[in-house]
Amino acid sequence: MKIRRLIEKAQSVFDAEDRKTKAQKKSLKHVVKKLRKHEKSLQKQHREEKSEAKSAKLEDQIKLAHAQRKKGLRLLKDLKKKS
Amino acid sequence: MLRKLFLPTIFVLLAYGFWVSPDFNEVAAGVAIFLVGMLALEEGFKAFTGGVLEKLLRRTTDKLWKSLCFGVVSTSVMQSSSLVSVITISFLSAGLVSLTAGVGIIFGANLGTTTGAWLVAGLGLKIKISAYAMPMLVFGVMLIFQQSRTTKGWGYILAGLGALFLGIHHMKEGFEAFKGTFDLTDFAVGGYPGVLLFALIGVLATVIMQSSHATLVLIITGLSAGQITYENALALAIGANIGTTITAIVGSLSANVDGRRLAGAHLIFNAVTAAVAMGFIYQLTGLVDWIAGGLGIAPDNYTLKLAVFHTIFNGLGILLVLPFINRMVDLLNRVIKPRVRTSSEARYLNSSNAGLPDTAIEAVRLETLRLYDHAAEIIAEVLGLNLEDILNGKPIGSTVAQTRRPPTFDIDDRYERSVKALYAQIVEFIGAAQSFMSPHQSHELFALRAAGRDIVEAIKDTKHLQKNLARYVASENEHIRHEYDDIRANLARALRRLDRVRRQGEDSGAVLSLDAIKVEMKRRDQELEGKINRLIGEQLISAPMSISLMNDSGYAYHVIKNLVKMGEVLFSTSESALREAERSVSLDEAELTELMQENTKSTSGRSNENP
Repeated sequence: MKIRRLIEKAQSVFDAEDRKTKAQKKSLKHVVKKLRKHEKSLQKQHREEKSEAKSAKLEDQIKLAHAQRKKGLRLLKDLKKKS
Repeated sequence: MLRKLFLPTIFVLLAYGFWVSPDFNEVAAGVAIFLVGMLALEEGFKAFTGGVLEKLLRRTTDKLWKSLCFGVVSTSVMQSSSLVSVITISFLSAGLVSLTAGVGIIFGANLGTTTGAWLVAGLGLKIKISAYAMPMLVFGVMLIFQQSRTTKGWGYILAGLGALFLGIHHMKEGFEAFKGTFDLTDFAVGGYPGVLLFALIGVLATVIMQSSHATLVLIITGLSAGQITYENALALAIGANIGTTITAIVGSLSANVDGRRLAGAHLIFNAVTAAVAMGFIYQLTGLVDWIAGGLGIAPDNYTLKLAVFHTIFNGLGILLVLPFINRMVDLLNRVIKPRVRTSSEARYLNSSNAGLPDTAIEAVRLETLRLYDHAAEIIAEVLGLNLEDILNGKPIGSTVAQTRRPPTFDIDDRYERSVKALYAQIVEFIGAAQSFMSPHQSHELFALRAAGRDIVEAIKDTKHLQKNLARYVASENEHIRHEYDDIRANLARALRRLDRVRRQGEDSGAVLSLDAIKVEMKRRDQELEGKINRLIGEQLISAPMSISLMNDSGYAYHVIKNLVKMGEVLFSTSESALREAERSVSLDEAELTELMQENTKSTSGRSNENP
């Protein structure tokens, strides 16, 4: 078992494609996390906003950040399937 | 003339030496193999400059002691102060580190390079390193032939170390054999004339080999074989320190003013250190004996004592020069003045950073941002506004309403002078830099080139707007004037928003929020049709006016679209992998349309619920 894991590890060191996918996953995860933070900060602003026009704008921005985050999660899922 | 004769003379002298003595042949071959090893080692570490090294360099420039430590550690690890100097110069040229931080790194590199003497004197001469050299070379070369850049990098490092070891072995063997037939110590010169003469020889040897490290190894192996006297070896080491500045000076020739200033600081540091070391060589020798005694080094172990001397005199140099570092930087700023540059001249691009992928990419990004700055000024001027007024937070609507000066300047002339020339330099630089890059890095460069093209396209679309803006901005017809004010305000708002996102480049959320501008643009474009129909229907504007309005709204739409596209690439200051992830998450046209349709549905749903 240990040897098999060792071989797998050694393979992943030499497998450029595998390393690339891992790096992509890491970056995507980071961006998704940032987007979630951004979305939450927009939601907070939205709750505190009194002007109707600004509130509608913020709502659009929340939806946009949400759509981008969803896209990020979808891409992550695809990458996980690939690896 | 002298320059032309220099190389052939060296060739003839070497050839004569090889003919006369096979042992000299072995020593020279050892030096050559050692230099090949140095080159391979530099090549290997360059493979890692696309990340770790740059990240470290960026984090270690906020304080002087950090820069100093970076210089010591990086040079100790890479065993090449030249590579550290070259990287620092290119970072300075790209505007990524300050001159004081750069000088700190160079000072640290001088101390770091002394670890080489310790390694060779302490390990290289005691262990049979040639036994390790062969397998290292074999494994290294095998790794060099691999596809991955990182694996290749490790291959070069391993093969480089193997060649270094093999070189040292041949130098050692050569000197040992040499001893039986010829004694170089017969040429030893004592006293201060000897110090001066051998320091000069050290300078010459380092200039020829372009590596103080190689000179030092040659000195140590010669010293261990008893072919050089201890006193002369110290002078040779001092000379090697002066000679190494030549590499930095040659490297700085193509760099910008900061790179030249850094090379100046390197020269001052090494010259001052060498002068002090030569002046007080006998006192320093006493100090070396005392320290060596404390460290348990035998009195006749001259090679290790040379390593102690090398460390002491470089450390002493840092202690002497460091308190005056700010004055030195001031002096260099005064003496080495920048050339007067036109706005269209590239500021960050030069051949010294073309060879370092990540630095080159950052230099292109910064230069393309300058291109955007020129473009933003042109666009603001066409709108009849001042860029500062747009960016300073005043209400855009009132600023637009208050300024009614029709744009009359020659946009073509401005484009030729401040945009086209700069963009041409960027494109040319990208062409030269891409040959050093991995496919991923090339992709990043192409994205930046495309961002530059987006900027150019935005200016061209702005040019189309100019004619009608000039006509309608002060029109008697308040309706058409109002519509054109709307176009101006939208463009100004986009410029303001882009500027805000640019200031938050590290936040992926902010960079991706640029997509919101696209959504707004699409909505306005959809609303415009209904608006124009109403204005024509009520005969508030003429048919030709409506055509102009439709065309110009289209141009404005394209200006903003191109600028947003550019912003998504250019404003993100994250690492390249993150930038790519940000771009992949950004919504495309179809996804934006879908989002808008969803928004419209939910808005109409809400209004139906609350009649």
